[in-house]
Amino acid sequence: MRRLGVLVLGAFALAGCGGNDAVNAAAKVRCPAKAAAGWQKLANRVDAPVFCPSWLPDPLDGVIGSRWNNINEVGRDRSYLLSWVWQETGPGAAGGEKHVNLRGYPGRTRVPKCVNADSKKRELIPCFSDAAGTVRLGGRTATVYNVNQDADQWHVLYAWRYGGSLYTVSEHVAPPFGYRKVRQNLDRMLRNLVLVRPATP
Amino acid sequence: MLAGAAASALAAGGIYELVDQLSGAPPERTVAPPRPDEQHLLDGVSVIVDNDVEVVIPPLHHQLVTANVRADDLRAAQRELSDALDELDRRYEQTPAGLGVTLAWGLRYFEGRVPTAWRTHAPYDRRAGKPALLPAVRFPSDPDETLLEDNDVAILLRSDSRDHLAHAAGVLFGDLDVFDVTSIRRGFVGGGFGGRRSLPKQIAMAAGVPGADLIPTSAQLFLGFTSTQKDALGPRLIANHETLGLVDLGPKHYFRQGTSMHVSHLFEDLEAWYLNFDFRERVATAFRPGQPELREGTLTVPQPRKRADSPRGVEREFQKQGRIGHSSAIQASSRLQRDHVATDGTVYKRGTAIPQRADFNTLDNPFDWSSRRDVDQMQPGPRAGLHFVVFNPSSDDFHRNRRAMDGVLPDGTRLPLNARERNQGFNSVLRTTHRQNFLVPPRRHRSFPLAEL
Repeated sequence: MRRLGVLVLGAFALAGCGGNDAVNAAAKVRCPAKAAAGWQKLANRVDAPVFCPSWLPDPLDGVIGSRWNNINEVGRDRSYLLSWVWQETGPGAAGGEKHVNLRGYPGRTRVPKCVNADSKKRELIPCFSDAAGTVRLGGRTATVYNVNQDADQWHVLYAWRYGGSLYTVSEHVAPPFGYRKVRQNLDRMLRNLVLVRPATP
Repeated sequence: MLAGAAASALAAGGIYELVDQLSGAPPERTVAPPRPDEQHLLDGVSVIVDNDVEVVIPPLHHQLVTANVRADDLRAAQRELSDALDELDRRYEQTPAGLGVTLAWGLRYFEGRVPTAWRTHAPYDRRAGKPALLPAVRFPSDPDETLLEDNDVAILLRSDSRDHLAHAAGVLFGDLDVFDVTSIRRGFVGGGFGGRRSLPKQIAMAAGVPGADLIPTSAQLFLGFTSTQKDALGPRLIANHETLGLVDLGPKHYFRQGTSMHVSHLFEDLEAWYLNFDFRERVATAFRPGQPELREGTLTVPQPRKRADSPRGVEREFQKQGRIGHSSAIQASSRLQRDHVATDGTVYKRGTAIPQRADFNTLDNPFDWSSRRDVDQMQPGPRAGLHFVVFNPSSDDFHRNRRAMDGVLPDGTRLPLNARERNQGFNSVLRTTHRQNFLVPPRRHRSFPLAEL
């Protein structure tokens, strides 16, 4: 009992000094070894915690810089967008697309605004809308958004707040995955996210 | 062999058996008055209030059977069919609790089987300067592959009871030997008002249709919004050929109390609708871009006569917003633009709806059964769609409404919208597969019209 208390204290101490957790205790998963360095680098770059996916739909791997990672962007406001996509052309089961985005908005928790590209007035609209309830998995409560803009268009998106920042994971609804399967995938992704904190210089 | 296949298909319930299992007790219905002279009217239809809007509750089950005439002796066939219809009339009231039977005849029948009498008695649309029954056409938003059909006859069966439909189909297509069935189209419309679970979502989920999970729980139709607001449906006799004075009925007024019917089938892309259009945009798309703010999740939206749109209103809103809404664009043509006094003295106020819609959701792909599987591009498995059925005074009147839906207004103004673009109302999530126009004779001439002359 006493030993457990020491371990817990140790864990808090590690978190408090900005070390790399790299472990999702609830799901008992780690940021995969081949992905960990990239996510640590990202956390350092945005100077905020980020969430490493320990599971993505096969063959997506969550490795920044891998052959499936088609977007790796950090904005001047430190917000980031990472995207992994697999595409195959062909009829029926031979074709399809798997596309997952992970975003973070360090230092803000409000849903960002996007330009409505379909409107003549090019008005600003919420980037995530049509909230369809919440899910609680992996120690996080996420809001489900069905209608999303920009790189998340035609995706279902989960958004959650952590440490004064907003984070999202989304997946494209497209063959081979329908809405129901995408929700199952997102549940699994959310459950298996691993917090990566910026390293102390 | 083919007849046997059609008979088996007519007898089978398939996925639509779920309608009975999921809908529970049918809605309460009022007792019907004496049977109307019009075939297309249903009596005893319930009206409820949802979100302070009066809403008509259509029958749960719908079946539309198209056929060609097999019989050579038309007069004998006329008697046989008439007797069969009389038998159904004796057994069922023309109500949702009973059975609605509407026989509509195509140009192929009139021009091929009774050409001389047709030349004399064909109703003529004065406003259009054309016959009241026209061949189907493709509209600007229709894909090139939309099939323009040419069936002799379409028989629309409507009831809260699937057994009634099955019995009627047995009588008309099993016991009789006058038709070659060409297609069977089935579907449903299902309430869910007052927060109750409706049929579309339950049935789509059971069938595993893509996007089924996204349909609102109590939606009347797959696309979510209620479509049978009382104000959005033409009052009792307005769609008759004669009511608005559009149609010259010829020397004997043979088709007085008749109407025109348009039938089309279209697929609905539910995932595109619910994943690409947020609630605010779905409202703007289904109704009008400037629709006053609604509480998110509202499904029944008022469509009052006094706020009916005009061509100028649609054009103004398009200039401002760059888009048109489905209802408001159609209202430029489908609502009376001024008060009208009918020949029977009834005053129809400006903004009154003219068409009487009888559309129903379906999982047919595109039909439940077809005798021309390749032509109709029959595919296995269920798919979300709509069998659109509407009664208008003439084919041209429907064509005007349908063109308005694409931004081609009745005064000839053509709003610069690309086919099926996102700003063109519903069109980007719809794909029409089939179309045909029919003429619905009055009840007294419903069986092989003109054959007796």
